[in-house]
Amino acid sequence: MTVTSAGTLAALIALVALMTLVVRPRGSSTVDFYLAGQRVGVATNALAICGDYFSAASFLGVAAAVYVSGLDGVWYAVGFAAGFVPVLLFVAAPLRRFGEFSIPDFLGRRLASERVRLVAVGVVQIVILSYLIPQAVGSGITWQLLVGRGLPGLSAYETGVVLSTAVVAGLVAFGGMRGTTWTQAIQFLLLLGALVWLAVAVAGSGFHYSSAVAELSAEPLANPAPGDAGWYLRPEDNQIDPGAPALFGQPGAAYGPLAQFALILTLVLGTAGLPHVMNRYFTSPTGTAARMTTVWVIGLAGLFYALAVMLGTAARQQIAAAVDDHPWLEELTVDGVLLVPEHALPVLGRIYGGDSGLAVVAAGALVAVMSTIAGLLLAAAASWGHDVYERHINPRATETQAVWAGRASTAFVAVAAGALAIAMEPRELTPAVPSIVAAMVTWAFAIAGSALTPVFVLAIWWRGTTAAGATAGMTVGGLVSVSMFVLGALPVGPGLGETLMTPTLVAAPLAALVTWLVSRRTAPPDDVERQWLVLHGTAADRHAERLARLTLASLQQPTRRRSGRTARRREGRDAHG
Amino acid sequence: MEFDDGVDEHDTPAEVDAAFRTLRRVAITHVVLFLAALMGVPALSLTLGWWSDGRLAGGMSPGFAMAAFGLYAFFLVIGLAAASLSSAVEARMLGGRHVDDADGFPPEEDRP
Amino acid sequence: MRTGSLLLAATICGTWAVVYLVTQVVVSPPLGVGTTVVAGTAASVLLVLGYPSALRGPRAPLARWRRLRGRAVGSRPAGDHAEGRGVERSRRRIVAGHRMPLRSGLTADAARRTATLLRPLLGGDAVVITDRELNLAFVGPGSDHHEAGGRVRAAAVRSSIDKGRTVVTRRASAMGCDVPGCPLRSAVVVPLVVGERVVGTIGVFRTHDEPAPRDQVEDMASILSLHLELAEADRERKLAADARLDALRAQINPHFLFNILNTIASKSRTDPDEARQLLLRLSDFFRYAVRQEGQLAEFAQEYFFVRTYLSLEQARFGDRLRVRYDVDPQVLTAHVPVLTIQPLVENAVKHGLATKVQGGTVTLRARVDPLTRTTTIRVTDDGVGMAGDVLDRLGTPLVARAPDGSHGEAGARGGVGLQNISERLTTLFGERFTLDIQSTEGEGTVVEVRVPLR
Repeated sequence: MTVTSAGTLAALIALVALMTLVVRPRGSSTVDFYLAGQRVGVATNALAICGDYFSAASFLGVAAAVYVSGLDGVWYAVGFAAGFVPVLLFVAAPLRRFGEFSIPDFLGRRLASERVRLVAVGVVQIVILSYLIPQAVGSGITWQLLVGRGLPGLSAYETGVVLSTAVVAGLVAFGGMRGTTWTQAIQFLLLLGALVWLAVAVAGSGFHYSSAVAELSAEPLANPAPGDAGWYLRPEDNQIDPGAPALFGQPGAAYGPLAQFALILTLVLGTAGLPHVMNRYFTSPTGTAARMTTVWVIGLAGLFYALAVMLGTAARQQIAAAVDDHPWLEELTVDGVLLVPEHALPVLGRIYGGDSGLAVVAAGALVAVMSTIAGLLLAAAASWGHDVYERHINPRATETQAVWAGRASTAFVAVAAGALAIAMEPRELTPAVPSIVAAMVTWAFAIAGSALTPVFVLAIWWRGTTAAGATAGMTVGGLVSVSMFVLGALPVGPGLGETLMTPTLVAAPLAALVTWLVSRRTAPPDDVERQWLVLHGTAADRHAERLARLTLASLQQPTRRRSGRTARRREGRDAHG
Repeated sequence: MEFDDGVDEHDTPAEVDAAFRTLRRVAITHVVLFLAALMGVPALSLTLGWWSDGRLAGGMSPGFAMAAFGLYAFFLVIGLAAASLSSAVEARMLGGRHVDDADGFPPEEDRP
Repeated sequence: MRTGSLLLAATICGTWAVVYLVTQVVVSPPLGVGTTVVAGTAASVLLVLGYPSALRGPRAPLARWRRLRGRAVGSRPAGDHAEGRGVERSRRRIVAGHRMPLRSGLTADAARRTATLLRPLLGGDAVVITDRELNLAFVGPGSDHHEAGGRVRAAAVRSSIDKGRTVVTRRASAMGCDVPGCPLRSAVVVPLVVGERVVGTIGVFRTHDEPAPRDQVEDMASILSLHLELAEADRERKLAADARLDALRAQINPHFLFNILNTIASKSRTDPDEARQLLLRLSDFFRYAVRQEGQLAEFAQEYFFVRTYLSLEQARFGDRLRVRYDVDPQVLTAHVPVLTIQPLVENAVKHGLATKVQGGTVTLRARVDPLTRTTTIRVTDDGVGMAGDVLDRLGTPLVARAPDGSHGEAGARGGVGLQNISERLTTLFGERFTLDIQSTEGEGTVVEVRVPLR
């Protein structure tokens, strides 16, 4: 690492911190809050959701997946981007209107059952953990490339993992990095900025997207594999049409026919069950605003992933062409193809921007990782501290005790994630899956989509859902998906393994079926009609809007600071997300 | 609340149930469309040679172009359509004392 | 709505063009013909089915959004301006929509447009259209003192109004204009006659002594008179329809009001909050019934009226009255005749369920059929049903179908309301609507209204 890249990286991180402090609205009041709800808020909240959602998997992983497997890697981008459409259709507005803070809270109150809450906490923790690991892996990879050196006794990769998790966990635990809407929004803007800069640089250098795809599809796709005499390029098998070569622009390089659908469906259904993303919806002022927020998120995600796919393609073409001119690429590549596909974007950044370019991309990746880790750790701490500790272990906990419970759980989750990330250092796994970071995130999506989403959607849209049904559904969904992973990790034959790695196709319908069957045999909660009024009625929304309208009308101009108490309450809730 | 004019909004169960059914219909039609398009892209590449072999101006196949940017635009369009339709349905099927705002008759005047 | 069909047709054509472009032009090799046709057909079918929601579905939130951007004020619920617009639109559809301006009556605006339109046709330098007192419009030289909206100045015009026949003058002095330097020298003034009555004149002036061709002006005047006569007839028809609507408004049952007030009075002790809600709903109910203008309104508005009514009745009947709405999203913006659904629902409650001890369910089902372009509204109750002779008596002027011989037996069933609705539907849609009543004694009644999709 040179002084330039270190300087640029430090400057960028400082810039984010500074902007967070400067841009953050001060003296916010109810008026500002509602004003924001109608003018800025929808967009800001959407940016913040993006900040939580776009992780290392999106930033490094999608480009890496496209880099390795071409069209089959694009399915990751499609799936991640599509995930918010079901959220918009089925979840966003009712979830906001019900007004509970987290998924376990929601299920617990909706079904009037503590058991459901605890089971949901368990599933949520598994999802969070499996989402944290790839983030830590992503930061390890970035560190490896950016710094290349480790702390004494640790490899560069391990240093990255340890440092990033430790720093974020410390910040989260001691309240220094509260996941406020503005912080997340600015972090996402930096991420998007890095991606856009890279895209502009690549496009400016004469890269022609369409013909690059054609050119790359002209020859069979080959990726590095360890052989007897070191690494060599091994052509990928075509999973759809055995015998034919796998091509960049055509499906089949990584997934068989069924696995293609399974992967997309897994990602699509998973988003609605992601705890840290769903928690964000409570910062919307109304259900309708939550809906419009999701539309924004869909748009931003589309832009983001379209760019990521384009950059993955560009990396495949440009890095191979640049090997001759850039001697430092020697040790990272085999015949012009990267050993670790996650290096695609950072390397591209270095080719086009030198050391500062590398730093920009690395800053983007680190910000993506940190904002997502922060969101996840907060969600984990909230569900341990709020749902388990305060309700079950120590119902009469003092404020301090609750805070310490939250900190302890943060530390525990962070340590677990870091340890698992170190155990799964990528290079050993690379040939098995297109992009280890993207693939690992898929596991989190699979568990969320199999265990949480079906129960969640049923609880919102079917009055007959019962606590017993939900418990059974979550258990079955979780168990089926995890056992399919285990099966998939065993050698079960080509094609089938990938399908087993994306179990939602089987597990989600099964979970829904079990929920339905068990619910039919048990009685739903008595107050379901009253809950329906809250979930699907707009009375509270209209009241909030009327209040905002009256407030605005009554203070057309000068006095903007008032009703601070309400605003602070909102802010407090905001800070949890 | 100091700005509350004392009229709290209120929905009856039958009204909420009606809005719920209509919204469910909206959601289901949109999700069917969405899944058809989403699954259609890989399905076409498995069944229709032209989808992967054809060349759009420049060299990309229709399938790749769809996955690389077409689908994202589609998501945005269908999301916007669903969101605006759902919100409009809610605005029309629940509440509704706003009718009197329209004819220039301030609601406060004739309230008890 | 004719423009709606045009829009749909245009969109389908556009879709085929896009399909053709994408599959045949920008791609090499082009897609096979069969597959292209299948793709285009699938897209068209989707469009036709989705048309009501995609192209004419509720669009209010976007409009509201834009408005917020522009004015940056707090939001008002989306429905209000959309609904206001709807009323306006429906009014226009009934009265206007014809090419000749005067078809909507002898107004200053219509007269001005007519005069502008006719001046080149009649070969005059100036054209005036007046009513019996004032110049409604004056186009051409001399408009500085023969100003529109001023009193009639030209003696020729005055004498034409008085005599009720054509007046031709060839000399400036006979024009009778007392302003010196008036450029007008000759005139042909023809009265406009509706029935036996002179309602105004049209005059053609020239700045030289040769007047405009008399027969041409007279022909035009008789055409204009015909239009005015038609406008009069229109107005009368509208007045008749309004009168029917007023009759319906006046018909709001005093018993209903008393019952509700009693309910509110008794609740004001036990549940003051609910009593307050009910009072507000009651005021909503009357405000809508009295203030609703025009003959057509958005279904959403009528639905608001119906649910306001039913929530009041539910307060009175308690658990005995159950309500179920089944509403298509597309139907919300369709236009339906005002005060049509509520009387049907009221009949169902009053005659179907009120006398039934164990109570029952009223179901309102509203659908849009995009293919036949009709709006269907069906009100079902599982109440006591209706007697055959009552149904027959109701049915004579209506298009009623009683299934086979199952003419039931029950009390007089809201005949006046139905009669009124049926008459108004005839005025609005001619033969293009159906009003079906099916009733089985002891099992309930189904009333179905089908009107063209507007």
